[in-house]
Amino acid sequence: MVQREDHGMLRVQLTRRRLMAGLVGMSAATLLAACGQNQSASPTANAPAVQAATPTPAPATAASAATPSKTMAATGAPAVVTQTGSKVKVTYWGSFSGNLGEAEQEVVRRFNASQNDVEVTYQYQGSYEDTAQKLTQALAAKQTPDIVLLSDVWWFKFYLNDVLQPLNDFFAQAKIDLSDYVDPLINEGTRKGQVYWVPFARSTPLFYYNKAAWSEAGLPDRGPETWDEFLQWVPKLLKQDGGKTTRFAFAHPNAASYAAWVFQPVVWQWGGKYSDPDFTIHLQEQPAVEAGRFWQRSITEGWAVSSKDPNADFLNGVTAAMLASTGSLAGLEQSAKFPVGTAMLPKGPAGFGCCTGGSGLAILKGKPAEVQRAAFQYVAFATSPEMTTFWSQKTGYMPVRKSAAQSTAMQQYFQNHPNFKTAVDQLPKTRPQDAARVWIPNGDQIIGKGLERVTIQREDPQNVFNDVARTLTDAAKPVVEQLKRREG
Amino acid sequence: MAAKSWRLLRQLPWYGLMLVAVFAIGLPLFWVATGSLKTTREIYTFPPVWLPQHPRWDNFSAAWHAAPFGRFYLNSIIVTLADTAAKLFFALTTAYALVFLNIRGRNLVFLFVLAALFVPVQVTLLPNYLTVGRLGWINTYFGLIVPMMPVAFGTFLFRQHFRTLSREVLDAAVIDGCGHWRLLWDVVLPMSRPVAVTVGLLALVGRWNDFLWPLVVTNTVEMRTLPVGITYLYQVEGVQNWGPIFAGTLFVMVPVLLVYIVAQRWIVSGITSGAVKG
Repeated sequence: MVQREDHGMLRVQLTRRRLMAGLVGMSAATLLAACGQNQSASPTANAPAVQAATPTPAPATAASAATPSKTMAATGAPAVVTQTGSKVKVTYWGSFSGNLGEAEQEVVRRFNASQNDVEVTYQYQGSYEDTAQKLTQALAAKQTPDIVLLSDVWWFKFYLNDVLQPLNDFFAQAKIDLSDYVDPLINEGTRKGQVYWVPFARSTPLFYYNKAAWSEAGLPDRGPETWDEFLQWVPKLLKQDGGKTTRFAFAHPNAASYAAWVFQPVVWQWGGKYSDPDFTIHLQEQPAVEAGRFWQRSITEGWAVSSKDPNADFLNGVTAAMLASTGSLAGLEQSAKFPVGTAMLPKGPAGFGCCTGGSGLAILKGKPAEVQRAAFQYVAFATSPEMTTFWSQKTGYMPVRKSAAQSTAMQQYFQNHPNFKTAVDQLPKTRPQDAARVWIPNGDQIIGKGLERVTIQREDPQNVFNDVARTLTDAAKPVVEQLKRREG
Repeated sequence: MAAKSWRLLRQLPWYGLMLVAVFAIGLPLFWVATGSLKTTREIYTFPPVWLPQHPRWDNFSAAWHAAPFGRFYLNSIIVTLADTAAKLFFALTTAYALVFLNIRGRNLVFLFVLAALFVPVQVTLLPNYLTVGRLGWINTYFGLIVPMMPVAFGTFLFRQHFRTLSREVLDAAVIDGCGHWRLLWDVVLPMSRPVAVTVGLLALVGRWNDFLWPLVVTNTVEMRTLPVGITYLYQVEGVQNWGPIFAGTLFVMVPVLLVYIVAQRWIVSGITSGAVKG
C-alpha cells in the first residue's frame, strides 16, 4: 500500500546535472545527423566565375543552333576539354509534366548537347499557379531560379514587382530579330518597348466540332462563318429524347475552366472589350453586355450547356461543338470516338476576334551577368524557329516565330494535320488579351464568376457586368498604383 | 422472437446510414481502382462504365515510367518514418513532462501547445520556408523533415491519456527505484499503446499524404515525395490522361490503406481515450 501524495506529483529528482546531460546527449545526436545531409541546397551556390565580359553569342539562327557553338573564353584560350565544372549552370523552373514535360526535357537536352558553355537544369514545379507561388516564396528567401515559365495571368505580377530582367539588349547582342516573333505574342510581354516575357508555350481558343454530328445533321464539313450561321445550324444539331436534351449544340466552360478566357474573343466579336490597357473597365458598356446577352440566350434557348469539363462533354457527345484551347488538340484527337474538326472562331456583329493564351519564359533580375547571358542563350534556343517547330508539333502549342510556320518541316506537318493548320492560320489574327483579365489579380476568376451568374443563374447581364466592373475597378487600384511607381 | 425482429427493425435505419457512409467512402476508391485499368475513352464515357471491358494493366507501367516513382517511394518512406518517429518521441516526452514533472507554469506551456493547434499550416508556410532557406536546407531531407517534427495534437492526446493513468502503479514503480526514463518506457508507454499507435498513425498518414510542404521545399525530381510525384502525370493544359493518373494515385493510396487496415483496431480506442474519465 502506497500513500498517495496529495499534490499528485511523482517525486523523482530531476537534478540540474541530469538535465544538462540529457540536453548534451540530444544535441550531439542532432549534430551527428546533420553531418549526413547533402550540401547542394541552393541552386545558385558556387556559380562558377566564367569568362570575362565578352558576351557569349546565342544561337542566332536555326542553323547555328544545330551546330555546337564553341565559344572561346576571353583569354583567347580555345575551349578544348571543358570540364563540366567550368560550365555555367542555369536553373529553369517550369510547369510541364506528362507528355508536355517529356517534350520540355527534350528541348533542354538538345540545348545542353548543342554547346559546351551552359548547362540548363529543368525543374518541374507543379501547375502554373504552383510555379508562380513557389517563385514568390523563392524571392522572399532569395533562392530563385534563373529562368522561369510564367502563364499569361501571372507574369505581369512579377514585372510589377520589378524582378524580371528586360531583354532587348540580349536580343540585340545575339542579333535576333524581334520582328520574327508573332506580333500579338511578343507584344503581350513587352512594356515600354522592353521585352520581359518571351512567348514559348502559347495557345489560342479554337472552334472544335464533332464531324459525325455535323454529317448526321447534313451540315457542310466546316465551322460556322458567323454566330448567325451557327444559330441556323443549331436546331439540326440538337438531339432530344422525351423532352430531355441528349446532345447540345455548344458548351460553355465554368469559371474554374477559364470561362473568361473563352468569352474574351466573343466580347471583341460584338465590338466590346473587358478593359483598356490603362485598366479603364468597359465590360459594363453596351457591346460587351450584348455579347453577355447572346451567351445567356444560348442557355435559355436550350442549345448550349454550362459544363464543368467541356473537353469531357465534347468527347462524350454531350455537345457537338465548343471553344477550347489549341493545347487540347492532340488529346482530343487521341481520345475521340469520332473525327474531330477545327475551325477559326465564328465572327460576331463586329467581325472577327481571337485572343492568345498559354505561357512564356522570363529571366530573373539580380543574377551575375554571365548567368543571365547563359539563361538568355537557353531562352533564345527554346524559342528559335527550329525548336518552336519541334515543340509545337509535339504539343499542339503555337509556333511563336513567323519563319517557323513557313518552314518546309511545318508545311509538311500541316498536310497530315489539317486541324493544327487551322490553329496556326488563325494565329496572326489574334490580339493580346485585355488588361482586366490578365493583369488584375484574380481578374480571370472575377469575370468568370460573373459569367456563371449570367449563364447558370440567368441574372440580367447588365446588372451582373455592372457588379463585375465595380469589383474589377477596386481590384485594379493597387495595380494602377504599383504601375505608376514602376513606369512613372 | 418478436422482440428480436423488433430490435432488428429499429436498427435498420442505422444500417442504412452505415451503408451510405460505406458508399460515400468506397465509391471514390472503387472509381480510382477501376479507372486505373480503363482507357481514357472508357473513363470519359457517359453513362459510366463501372468495370473496364479490357483491363489495361499498362496504365501502371506508363505511370511508373513517366517519372522516377521508385525514388519517390524512397523519399516518402524516409520522410514519413523519420517524422513519425520524431513526432512520437517529442509528443511522448513533452506530454510526460507536462503531467509528471513539477515544473512551474507547465499549464501555461500546455496552453501554448494548444495554441499551436489553432494555427493553420498555410500561415506557417512562409516563415518556415524562410528559416529553412537561411539554414541552407531547401531541397534537402532536413528541409523536408525537421519543420514538420513538432506535433501539438499528439502532445495533447498523450497528456489527456497520462492524466487518467492509475497513480498506484506509477507510485509503485517509483518506490521500486524507477527513474524518469524507465518509468516512461517501461511503465507509462505500455499502458498508452493505443494512444501511441493513434499518434503514430495520424503522423504517418498525414506525412505520407502531405503535398504542400514537400512541393514548396523541394526543387529537383530526386527530392520529390509521392504526392508531388503524381503531379508529374498531370497535364497543365489540354486533355488529362486519367488512366495513368489513377494508377499513380493507387501507388500513394495502397500502402497507407494497408497500414490503416492493420492498425485500425488500435486507432478507434486511441482517439476516444481521455474522453471519459475512468
